[in-house]
Amino acid sequence: MTSPGQKQQASDPTRTRRRLRLSVRIACLIAAILCLWPIHASLMPVVGAMSPFIAIASLIATRSLHTVLVLGFVVALIAFFRRRFFCRWMCPTGLCMDSASSLGRKLKRKPSHGNILAAWLLLVTLGAAFLGLPLFLWLDPLALFSGLFSAAASPYSPAAWIPALIFIALLIACIVSPRLWCGCLCPLGALQDLLAKLPRMRRRRQSNSNTEPNHLTRRTILGTILAFGAAALTLAAARTRPRRLRPPGAVDEQTFSALCTRCGNCIRACPCGIIQRDTSGPWTSLLTPTLTFENDYCRQDCTRCTEVCPNGAIARTPLDAKPNVRIGLPRVDMRICLLGEDRECSACRRWCPYEAIRYVFDEENYTLVPIVDPARCNGCGACQTACPTEPVKAIRVLPYN
Amino acid sequence: MSKRISRRDYLRIMGMSGLTVGTAAVFGQSTPIQYVGESGFQSSVIARNKVQPNRSPALLANGQVIQPQRSLPVLTQTDVLVVGGGPAGVAAAVAARRAGAEVTIVERYGHFGGLWTGGLVLLILGHIAKGPKQVCQGIGEEMMLRLEKMDRAIINRKPGQNPTVDAEAVKYLMVEMIEEAKVNVFLHCWGVDAVMQDNAVRGAVFESKSGRQAILAKVVVDATGDGDVFAAAGASFEHRSHNVGLVSRIGNLDRVDTAKTSDAEKPTRMGSATPIKGVNWVNLTGPEVDGLDLATLTRMELNHRKFIWNKMQTTRRVPGYEDVYLVETAPQLGVRITRILDGLNTITLESITSATKFPDVVGVGGASSAKHGEWQIPYGALVPQKVDNVLAAGRCVCCDMRMADLVRLIPNCFVTGQAAGVAAAVAARDRCAPRNADIAEIQKILRQQEVYLG
Repeated sequence: MTSPGQKQQASDPTRTRRRLRLSVRIACLIAAILCLWPIHASLMPVVGAMSPFIAIASLIATRSLHTVLVLGFVVALIAFFRRRFFCRWMCPTGLCMDSASSLGRKLKRKPSHGNILAAWLLLVTLGAAFLGLPLFLWLDPLALFSGLFSAAASPYSPAAWIPALIFIALLIACIVSPRLWCGCLCPLGALQDLLAKLPRMRRRRQSNSNTEPNHLTRRTILGTILAFGAAALTLAAARTRPRRLRPPGAVDEQTFSALCTRCGNCIRACPCGIIQRDTSGPWTSLLTPTLTFENDYCRQDCTRCTEVCPNGAIARTPLDAKPNVRIGLPRVDMRICLLGEDRECSACRRWCPYEAIRYVFDEENYTLVPIVDPARCNGCGACQTACPTEPVKAIRVLPYN
Repeated sequence: MSKRISRRDYLRIMGMSGLTVGTAAVFGQSTPIQYVGESGFQSSVIARNKVQPNRSPALLANGQVIQPQRSLPVLTQTDVLVVGGGPAGVAAAVAARRAGAEVTIVERYGHFGGLWTGGLVLLILGHIAKGPKQVCQGIGEEMMLRLEKMDRAIINRKPGQNPTVDAEAVKYLMVEMIEEAKVNVFLHCWGVDAVMQDNAVRGAVFESKSGRQAILAKVVVDATGDGDVFAAAGASFEHRSHNVGLVSRIGNLDRVDTAKTSDAEKPTRMGSATPIKGVNWVNLTGPEVDGLDLATLTRMELNHRKFIWNKMQTTRRVPGYEDVYLVETAPQLGVRITRILDGLNTITLESITSATKFPDVVGVGGASSAKHGEWQIPYGALVPQKVDNVLAAGRCVCCDMRMADLVRLIPNCFVTGQAAGVAAAVAARDRCAPRNADIAEIQKILRQQEVYLG
């Protein structure tokens, strides 16, 4: 725990220093907005990747390091020496929440104290990450900030407004109870606190002053046990869960629903508008990206969603690997298919970019039947988009089960 | 030089045949019927003990059947000869005539319309692009407008919809349009060969009840669907397989008592409505085969006929469907794709996805729904790579595998047919090979004929 003296010192910088800090924070906020505004797709993942919380949890969960996550480790390194440097100088969410907190203070609201909840959220997430399910990764402040832009990109989708509403709810919470977010809830803040403490802990152990109980170690053990329990329960629940159609290159379904930070980068980057926030699936995959092929399909010449994911929940997929990803597999309902009624149609076969659909004559029923070759098909959904039947498409891409 | 030789050749062949009927003087008038026999009986002797003149039977020699060399009578000569009287052929003939050429059309059956009427493919499918916009204008649209004015000739004529016609109404309308345009017609003529001079087609050879004859022409439009003329002329092509089916019509559907049967038990594949009350036309896709193979075509006819009859028996056993009956199976087998010309240009799927604009555009094709944009048809897709004086029209124009299923649709056959007709008329008028025809002039005439060129 930090002593009140330290806090006094830190929150009372000189006037020029305060001005400088405010300018830097505003500059960082503008930079973050510019990155997330679809100016150039390659800038999009930078914001989320700055978070060491996302970086470490993703590293544990996927056991692989996404290049852009190096940024997160740089921030983590800074935290070793300057606790909460990132929060005070750079975090765009921090600036928003701090402003709300100042307003609350002016309204004479009592600030909240204690970062126990944040520490638990952090430890549960990191612990569960070992089972591939970083449960509360979506609470990362940079992911929340990125999520704000979904509403701007697709203002007519109700689900796109949910992240913005969460953000606004947190702002209001900060007015009512100042410092609620940064001090008590933010797992990224808790992570930086933890990192800053690590060198001191070592020193303490070296000096052998073991008089006060080591809260951190106990908490770590308890947290990890709890995390394993929660993750195991989620895993058990996930077994019976229907799978979803994920963007190309997405990691396995169970990991994905937890690893995805809900930042919405992929949704905004998709030129075809086929990625939507999931609202119909199980609660664990709420707001994660799912695909719909009703109006468009996943183009063979595009890998943008894989490039903007901040933490590899959607793994980078080079263009030449695109035919080999497996989004899903189309199933034909011959009760609806025009060929079953002997009507003239070749739409799905014509528009399949991978030539994975053949029409085979079924001697017994004396009709043509579309047959999908699973070795060629990557589930891009071109067939579903092209299918002329209404209101339900006769050929629909279903997730692999 | 070559022109002088060709003219001399015309005269020589015609002189030898001694049968110079139907020459230019006859054009523009409907040929009067030659009534024979005034005996008072319904039948009279035209000639006694007659031996078929101009015979040249094949000879069996050393186990081989040899067709002796012989000269053929020339039935007529013309500016533009259209082989095949389907949607593409009729559109080509009318368009060429309206563009000022003398036109002769020959058709192997006794009626016009090809698969549209003889094949009972009654659905006008493939004239819609994003919008929904009807891209098939010109003669195709004229036919649809005229059918609208006729009694029970067309239904579902609404923007974005695929209309269905009555085959007999179409047959009647096509006779009307061909006669109005003053096109010279020969039915019951099966085009069997090309008349060649060096690398250029100079006409075509036909088999009919009057024997094997030739028609000479400045330009030939191959609207046979199978590309019979350009293949005979030696133009290279892609030989493809496709589904071969057989359409039928079923009747008394207005007498079906649906209350007698649950939805699950209702018979499927009952086709779609036609302008005739209680009558549906029923499509059949059939297996993918080689539509040029005689044994296969025969087998398809036999199998499909059995299937259609047996299917009807199953249908009639369903309570409430006892009165349904098979009106007819189509006289013409539903061959979809056989030969595809190797043209100067190819219609590819890319032309839709990247909305390609061709400088030599002669038409715009569509699809069955407004799902995607229009696709331009370049003139080069109708022109053979090497052989001269023949243009492809209809389903056999140069296109890739994926586009063939759009190219072969009836409205798109109107479009390629009209384009080929106008191009042939321009080439014949300017006395040049179709590949050198004045594109701007062709486009100008097509626009005058209200064709949509994008």
